[in-house]
Amino acid sequence: MKRYPGTAWFFFGWLVILTLLPFALILGMSVMERTIQGTIHFTFTLENYLRCFHWLYAKVFGKTVLVAATATFSCLLIGFPVAYHLARSTGARRQVGLVLLFIPFWTNFILRVHAMVSLFGNHGLLNHMLLELGLIEEPIQILYTRTGVYFGLIYNYLPFLVIPIFSALEKLDPSFREAAMDLGANRSQTFWRVTLPNVREGVVVGSLFVFIPMLGEYVIPDLLGGAKEVFLGNVMVSQFFTMQDWPFGAAIAGLLSLILLVALFMQTRWQRRVQGVLA
Amino acid sequence: MKPVRNPLVAIVFWMVIGLLYLPLLNLIMQAFLVDPRNIGSGFSTIWLRKLFASDAFWRPLVTSIEIGVLAATTAVAVATFGAVGLSRVRSTLPPAVQTLILLPILLPEVITGLSLLIFFLLIRVELGFFTVVLAHASFSASFVYFILVEQLRKLDPQMEEAAQDLGARGSQIFWKVTFPNIIPGLMGGWLLAFTLSFDDFLISFFTSGAGLTTLPLKIYSMMRIGISPELNALSFVMICISFSLVITLLSKEQGREWVLKSS
Repeated sequence: MKRYPGTAWFFFGWLVILTLLPFALILGMSVMERTIQGTIHFTFTLENYLRCFHWLYAKVFGKTVLVAATATFSCLLIGFPVAYHLARSTGARRQVGLVLLFIPFWTNFILRVHAMVSLFGNHGLLNHMLLELGLIEEPIQILYTRTGVYFGLIYNYLPFLVIPIFSALEKLDPSFREAAMDLGANRSQTFWRVTLPNVREGVVVGSLFVFIPMLGEYVIPDLLGGAKEVFLGNVMVSQFFTMQDWPFGAAIAGLLSLILLVALFMQTRWQRRVQGVLA
Repeated sequence: MKPVRNPLVAIVFWMVIGLLYLPLLNLIMQAFLVDPRNIGSGFSTIWLRKLFASDAFWRPLVTSIEIGVLAATTAVAVATFGAVGLSRVRSTLPPAVQTLILLPILLPEVITGLSLLIFFLLIRVELGFFTVVLAHASFSASFVYFILVEQLRKLDPQMEEAAQDLGARGSQIFWKVTFPNIIPGLMGGWLLAFTLSFDDFLISFFTSGAGLTTLPLKIYSMMRIGISPELNALSFVMICISFSLVITLLSKEQGREWVLKSS
């Protein structure tokens, strides 16, 4: 412990007080009892965690995982060709492509959500155009439905999936493909049997990269999903603010963190494997 | 990778790029519409002029800048302590220390925000300006730390050793040798921390209490009421601010790498 200089300890102290301690408080609270009066009682209990598995909350949990997984898969379908295009372009074109992909993400997050609202709303550009063209009679309801949540998730997370796939494709040795072609494979055979299996790890890492933060999403379901489309994060926040049941809210936070840590652990293991494969 | 000609891939790429820009272009267009619900109503700068004339824009803007400046300065100071201290440690850091430094980056924002809120409530600190500054500084310090560590790693350790041999004390070594050499990293880190603070919504949402309004919080509360011409005008201004911040970051050496990493 002596080997760290004093300045480092200052940094550790800062991290412990402002990050670790608040997080530990939540975890501690999650194993305490809530009395009928709404105060917190310092007795150890796992009741709050067991309540998370009550069907009411298990359903929200299932939905969060399902929606996040579907959105991740959609990002993958859209993101793969984007990464492929970037990887096969060279020099300035590639740089421009990457910058173009990221420019929208330099704007404020809440602004991007607002941009979705004003595009998909009943008076938004999309409905306006479709009505004008006579394709629809009534505005289509996209906001405050699950579709709205999907659009929001895909829009806000896409580039974070493109980048890991792009770097996997970039590192792929072209001689693999040339060898496949020389051995008589056609383009689609080469793609499915040589290119894709070799970037599989990049795909998995990238998918986890967007799937994990999606699980903890709060703002997108809140603003684009309306009252029905709630994620685990929204239930957690409402336990703190609306229900005033802090220990239960804390238990949801604990469970969410556990899932994130497990997913993260898996991601690092995959990443090591990728590095092992590419080294 | 060797190029394979498949026009479909290029078409998908440009379509996706187009779709990514469409919502933002729509926002910019709406900011100039006389009636945002009617595309045919003509363009004007009336809403922008109204926005600039109102307190509802300037007060949150000033609050956001004040918070950003204080949070970024605090974050850079704390991260410098950590980076300079830990760069002298030769061995790799144990996993527990690594996790501690990464924790602010790894935890989902909603959990960071909530736990800070509960923490502030329990120690009975009044929520407001200073809790938001502390919260922002606490999550950006780790980002700045990684920038500084990278910069310090490029420094020749012999410079510090030479200073030591010539009889300089610890603080002298820092101010006369280390500090001048990491100024680009400090400036880049400061800008990054300012941008993170200026753009943050969720953590401000939890730690600001009732009275304080930053620009993202203003947009949120206006969205809750419904789409209004004022909101569109404010969005346009926000887009302009965000882009100029990023262009400043990009103009710095290595800036692009940091932007990509932090987003």
